[in-house]
Amino acid sequence: MTETEHVSSNDSALDYYLRAEGITKVYSNGTVALKEADLEIHRGEIIGLLGENGAGKTTLTKILSGLLPPTKGRVISPRGPVRFGSPREALDFGIGMVYQHFALVGTFTAAENVALSHEHPFSTVQLASTKERLERLMKESGLHVPLDVPVEKLAVGEQQRVEVLKVLSRDVDLLILDEPTSVLTPLEVDELFVLLRRLREAGKSIILITHKLKEVGSITDRVVVLRHGEMVGDLTTADATTEQLARLMVGKMIDTAARAVELTEEGLPHRESARVEEMKSGPIILHVENLTTHGNTGEIAVEDLSFDVHAGEIFGVAGVEGNGQTELVESLTGLRVPASGVATINGTNILGKDPREIYRLGVAHIPEDRWELGLVLPFTLAENAILGVQRWEEFRGPMSFLRWGKINQHVRELMERFDIQATGPGAPAKSLSGGNQQKLIVGRELAKNPDIIVAAQPTRGLDIGSAQYIRDLLVEMRNNDRAILLVSADLDEVLALSDRIAIMYEGRFMTIASPADLDRETIGLLMGGVTVKEGV
Amino acid sequence: MSTEVTKNSSGPRGMARRTLTGLNPALESVLAGVVGLLIGALLMWIWGYDPWKAYMAMFRGAYGDSYGLASSAARGVPLILTALTFSICVRAGMFNIGAEGQLYMGALAAVTVGYFTLPSGLHVIAGIIFAMLAGAVWSLVPAILKLTRGVSEVISTIMFNWIARFLAFYMVAFILVDPARGEKTISIPMNARFPILVRGTDLSYSLFAAILFAIVIYFVLWHTTIGYEVRASGLNPAAARYGGIKSKRTMLLSFILGGLAAGLAGATVVMGNPPTYAVISGLPQLMNVGFDGMAVAMVGRNHPIGIIIAALFFGGLTAGGRVMQFYGSNPVPLEMVRIVMGAIVLAMSIPELFRMFPAIKRQGTKLCGLLRRLTHRASSEEGSA
Repeated sequence: MTETEHVSSNDSALDYYLRAEGITKVYSNGTVALKEADLEIHRGEIIGLLGENGAGKTTLTKILSGLLPPTKGRVISPRGPVRFGSPREALDFGIGMVYQHFALVGTFTAAENVALSHEHPFSTVQLASTKERLERLMKESGLHVPLDVPVEKLAVGEQQRVEVLKVLSRDVDLLILDEPTSVLTPLEVDELFVLLRRLREAGKSIILITHKLKEVGSITDRVVVLRHGEMVGDLTTADATTEQLARLMVGKMIDTAARAVELTEEGLPHRESARVEEMKSGPIILHVENLTTHGNTGEIAVEDLSFDVHAGEIFGVAGVEGNGQTELVESLTGLRVPASGVATINGTNILGKDPREIYRLGVAHIPEDRWELGLVLPFTLAENAILGVQRWEEFRGPMSFLRWGKINQHVRELMERFDIQATGPGAPAKSLSGGNQQKLIVGRELAKNPDIIVAAQPTRGLDIGSAQYIRDLLVEMRNNDRAILLVSADLDEVLALSDRIAIMYEGRFMTIASPADLDRETIGLLMGGVTVKEGV
Repeated sequence: MSTEVTKNSSGPRGMARRTLTGLNPALESVLAGVVGLLIGALLMWIWGYDPWKAYMAMFRGAYGDSYGLASSAARGVPLILTALTFSICVRAGMFNIGAEGQLYMGALAAVTVGYFTLPSGLHVIAGIIFAMLAGAVWSLVPAILKLTRGVSEVISTIMFNWIARFLAFYMVAFILVDPARGEKTISIPMNARFPILVRGTDLSYSLFAAILFAIVIYFVLWHTTIGYEVRASGLNPAAARYGGIKSKRTMLLSFILGGLAAGLAGATVVMGNPPTYAVISGLPQLMNVGFDGMAVAMVGRNHPIGIIIAALFFGGLTAGGRVMQFYGSNPVPLEMVRIVMGAIVLAMSIPELFRMFPAIKRQGTKLCGLLRRLTHRASSEEGSA
C-alpha cells in the first residue's frame, strides 16, 4: 500500500511494463536454479531468453507466470510490486504463457478449448459469445484457426495457435512462449514469427525461450542470456553477433589445455593425460549407418545418422536436449523401432530387436530417466538388480524359479563394489537416495560385463560425489577396452570424458571431432544450429 | 502409545511406506477392522439394536463351534479363488472385474462333467480341470480384445459378466436342467464330488484346493521369473519394457491365471456344496461370489496369503451374519446385517484401495499426517512429519 505512493512520486521512470529484481530461486532439494536475476520488460518488444538446459530459463518464466514463487527478489510493475499466487492470478494481471506441451482437450474444438480456459468451474459455458469474441480477436491479430474442428485434427502449428489464441483472449500484455518453434515446420515457424511481429506492433511484450541462435537474430529485439542460473548477458540483438551469443551461452572462452586443468580442479577425473597416451582405436563395437527415427508425434527425430563407436573409446553426444538424443538412445537399445538405417553391435544387427536380445549381445543401458525407466521404485534392491537380466542362468533356476539366494548375494556384491548405501537387498529402491539409486542402475548394467555402455544423462541430478564416482566408473570401463556412448546435456561432462564428440542439432550431428579440436565458441554455435564454415 | 508413533515417524525420511499409516500391514488391517466394527456398532445402536449382543451372536455363529467354523470356511473357499482372479490382474496392472462371469462358466463346466461317468478320483480331477479351463477361456476374449484392440478390460469383463449370467440362466433352464426337477441342473454324481471334510457341515476338501491354488500363485508371483515380470510390468510398464519384458505376454498370462482361479471357484461351489451339488436356477449360490472376491482381495491386500485369511474372515461374516438375524432377544434384520458387514469390509478395504489409487492415497496420507500432527501438537512440535 505504501509502495504505491512511493512509485507514483517518480512517474517519469514508468516506461517499463514489468521488472524482475534480484530473483533467486532455490528448489527444495537445494538446487540453485536462478541467482539474482534482473529483467526489465518493455511494451512492444520481443525478448529472446537464451541458454542451455538447466540455465534457468524455464524457472524465470515460471516465476513470471505465477507457477513458482521466487525464493528471493520481487517483481514490480509501474503500479507497485506484484505477487502471483497462481498462473490464474498472473493471467488476470496480463501475463500468459504458452508451454511446449499444449494443454488442449483433443476432442474439443478451438472455441470449446478457449471457453474451457475461461470459465469458472460452476458457470455455464458461453460458447456462442466466446466464438464471437475469438472471431474479432482473430481479425485483429491476423491469427487464424478453424474454430469448429476438434483440435486433435489440427496440425501442430495450428494447435499452437489455438494455445496462443487462448492466452490472447485473456487480454494479456506479456506473452511468454517456451521453445515455440521446436515442434514446428519451417513454414509454420515463419507464420509464427509474422504473428509475433504483429503482436509487437500492437504493443504486446513477448518473451521467447529458445536455444536456437538463428531465431534470436531473426525475431528478437533484445537477447537475455542465462548460464547456470546467472544472467550473463542482456544485449540489443542488433549489436550482438552470433559468435558472441554462443560464447555467452556456453561459458567463457578457454583453450583446451586450460580447460583440462580447470576441470581437474573441479574434481573431474585426472585422465586428460591418460587419454592422450592411450588414445587407441580398438575394433568397432557399435556401427550406425543412415539411421532415421521418428519421434513420439511422428516428426523426424533422428535424421540419417552414421557413426562408429570403438572399443576403448568414450563417444560423447552433446547438444541441447530435445534434438533427437533420446530417440537415438532408444533406437539403439530396443525401446524404439527406427524408420530406416543400420545399426550393429559386433556385426550383429540390433535394429528392431527387443531390449532383452540387445542386452544379450553385450549392450548395457543406463537410461536417461532413472525413475521412469531404470527402476521399479516399489521393488526391492534385489528385484531391481535383476531387471533386464531376470532370465539369465545365474538368476533363474529350473521351472523358471528365481534363485533368490544367488540374487541377494549378487546384490550384496554390487552394494560393496559400487558403494551403494542401503539397509540391504530387501530395501525398496524408493528408500534410496538419488545417488544410490543411480549407482544401483550403473552397478547392475556394468555387472552385465557389456561390450558397450549406452549412458544417457548418467549424472543428472546427482550430488557431486556420486556424479564423480559414476564418471570415474565410465572412464575405468573405457580403459578396460569397453565402448561407451555417452549422451549428456552437461557440456562440461561430455568435454571432460569423451575421446570424440558429436554435437547433435535437430536430429543430425553437426560435427564429430576430438574435444581438442573444438573451442567453446564453435561448440556453442554448433549447438545453436549454426554451421561453422572452416575448421579452427 | 505415543512412543510407538514417535518411533514410527522418526524413521528414515525417505523410507518407503507400504501401508497408509506406516504400521505393520496386519496390524493396520486389524485396526481398520476394529474401526469398521465400531461404525457398525454405532449404526446398530442408532437404530435401537444392541450391538454387543449382535456381535456376540455373529461371533458365535462364525467361530463359536466347529459347525460355525466349518461353515465360515466353506463360505470362504470360492472367495479365496475369485479374490485371486482380481489380485493377479491387479499385480499385472489391470482391473479384471470378470471373476463373476468366469465363475459361472466354471460352474457350468463342472455340471457338464457330471454327465460323464469316470472312476472316482479321476472324475473330480476332470471336473476341476474342465471348470478351470472354462473360466480361462471365458477370460480370454476380454484379454485378447485388450491386447489387440486396446479395449478396456474393465468394460469388457463387465459386459462378459452379463453375457455369462444370461447364458448361465439359459443353460440351467434348458440344457443342463434336471429332467426330474426343473428348478436346478442335474446333480454331480458322487464320484465327482469333493468329499466332505467336517461331517454334518458343508465344508469339503475344496478348501485345500483353494488354499493350494493360492500358495501356487504366491510362488509364481514372488519366486519365478514369470511372476517377477508380471509384477514389474504392473508397477512400472516403462521400466518393464526397458527390462526386456513383453507386457502383452504378462497381461495375457495373468488373465489366464485369473480365469483358472475363477473357474476353479465355480467347481468348488458345484462339486463341493451339499446338499444339491447342482446349480439352482437363478444362481443363488453363485451370485456375487465374483464381486465379493474383489472386496476380499482388498482386505487381503492383493496378496495370496492375505487373501486366504481375508476370505475366511469374510466367510465368517457371512455365516455369523445369518446367526445375527435370528438371535433370540436381539434379532437384527437382514438389511442391517448387510449394512454392518459393508461397514466392516469397507473400513478394511480402505488401506489397499489407497495403495492402488495414488490420487486417493495422496489425500489420505495428507489426512493421516494432519491427524498425527493434531495428536502430537500437545507433546512436541518436532514429532510431526
